[in-house]
Amino acid sequence: MEQKSSIGLGLRTAAAVICALIVLFPVLWMVAMVFKPADVMFARPTVFFYTPTLANFAYVIEQGFVNNLITSLALGIFSTILVVIIGTPAAYSFARFELKAKEDLFLFILASRMAPPVCLVIPFYLIYAKVGLLDTFVGLSLAYMTFNLSFYVWVLRSFCRDLPVELEEAAILEGWSKAQVFRRIVFPLLRNGIVATSVLCFIFAWNEFLFAFMLGGDSVQPLPVAIPKLITAQGVRWGEVAVVGVVSLIPVLAVVVLLQRHIVRGLTMGAVKG
Amino acid sequence: MITLVLVSLVPFIYAVYLSFHQAKYGRVTDFIWFDNYVTLLTSGTFWNSMYVAGVFVLIAVPVEFMLGMAGALVLNKGVWGRSILVPLLFIPTMMAPIVVGLLWKIMLAGSWGVLSYNIIERFDLVSGTSIFASERYALLALVFIDIWQWTPFMMLAFFAGLQALPQGPYRAAAVDGASQMQIFARLTLPLMAPLLFVIGLLRFIDAFKIFDTIFILTKGGPGTTTESPSLLAYKMTFEFWNIGEASALAVFVWIIFFAVCTVFYHIAKKKLNAF
Repeated sequence: MEQKSSIGLGLRTAAAVICALIVLFPVLWMVAMVFKPADVMFARPTVFFYTPTLANFAYVIEQGFVNNLITSLALGIFSTILVVIIGTPAAYSFARFELKAKEDLFLFILASRMAPPVCLVIPFYLIYAKVGLLDTFVGLSLAYMTFNLSFYVWVLRSFCRDLPVELEEAAILEGWSKAQVFRRIVFPLLRNGIVATSVLCFIFAWNEFLFAFMLGGDSVQPLPVAIPKLITAQGVRWGEVAVVGVVSLIPVLAVVVLLQRHIVRGLTMGAVKG
Repeated sequence: MITLVLVSLVPFIYAVYLSFHQAKYGRVTDFIWFDNYVTLLTSGTFWNSMYVAGVFVLIAVPVEFMLGMAGALVLNKGVWGRSILVPLLFIPTMMAPIVVGLLWKIMLAGSWGVLSYNIIERFDLVSGTSIFASERYALLALVFIDIWQWTPFMMLAFFAGLQALPQGPYRAAAVDGASQMQIFARLTLPLMAPLLFVIGLLRFIDAFKIFDTIFILTKGGPGTTTESPSLLAYKMTFEFWNIGEASALAVFVWIIFFAVCTVFYHIAKKKLNAF
């Protein structure tokens, strides 16, 4: 019996590893492309072994992608901070207080999250064009805040519900104000949830393309939108595209390693407790 | 709280407002009641986009579901090095959709892509230059990419769900001598129902509104064979500048989603105690 189960374990491991390799192959291929010299890039048949080069990096830096990188980071961080400031009390009140038409309101917020981003970008574009927020840092951050806020509130609400109500009730009995309870009890207990959820918000902002593409412009150009710069008259500079792709993967990798339990919870909008 | 309502309401109300107006080339002119909706619902492009989304969702989501479930069951049975494997599997899901698109462009690019040259061309699967330029296969290629991106996530979500199941019923079932299939069908599936339900709904909605990947890979082409509703709305707005009709489309899709969400939310809440 023991023998049989360890064979099963081995087989399952082999199967899982093979599947993982299939899944990860494109990613690894892109990482390898970063160091691929241009002359073997388009070779037929495919060249698997080559002398690595850093030329692709040089071109990317030359094209000012460092600026795009900084823009991306700044946008992600700034919009996430806004979301945390506004969303944390909102999530808490959704979880705790009885509000009129709370359910409907909540569903509506959820539905606005569910709407295709294209639906949102049209009104945004027209409003921004009127008030002059197109191609501004503030404008884009506000747009990111909008689509992350509902997500943040929804997920954080599920974290709020895990907190013991008794603790807060006891504090109220002690004569603490609601604000005090929130600051001294709820906030410290929620810290993990806030960190996990806001990091996911950051990733969404970091990965976002459509809003950046429509509402941004020459002065605010996050990384994903900057990629077309690599499509030149001589053709697409794929090696450089791979560099940008890999750079954009770095925060994703960090999140995946640090937050794995919370990702499922976040992406299922709190339905799965990690 | 008020901010929250405001930021989610204002764009919506403005979209509704626009959808009732003649709005072309950036100028909002006459109030025209439901004309935009009528034009939209009688146009072939709209139903084509719905068809595209339908095909996309109906192939991608069930396949992801089944593969994900199978993978989750294997993972749950125990695999060496699970703690290393699991985070790696998150990578496709967490990647920027735009990078996913580029990645697959690299894999399947016309003559030099590693997959298109070594597999598709060698076995002569798709004639012509690129799979994304093929009327028959472009949509399937996009479905495939979506499956690639989301199956690992489904797997991990189901796996998390399996891990959280109570052990008691399983011991009871083992004592009763239930077969593996019986345990899965009578015990695991019902216990996981709320989770399956929520994930299915979210995936359905996400797949329906797909934009970035299609935008970078085919821009809806060749012809309109991969023109999803999101892409159609984009084209209406930023290529034909027919903002009124695009808003009508946006509102229409929005209402569908809202209705679906509401119905599912209430069913889920009552029957399954999800959320």
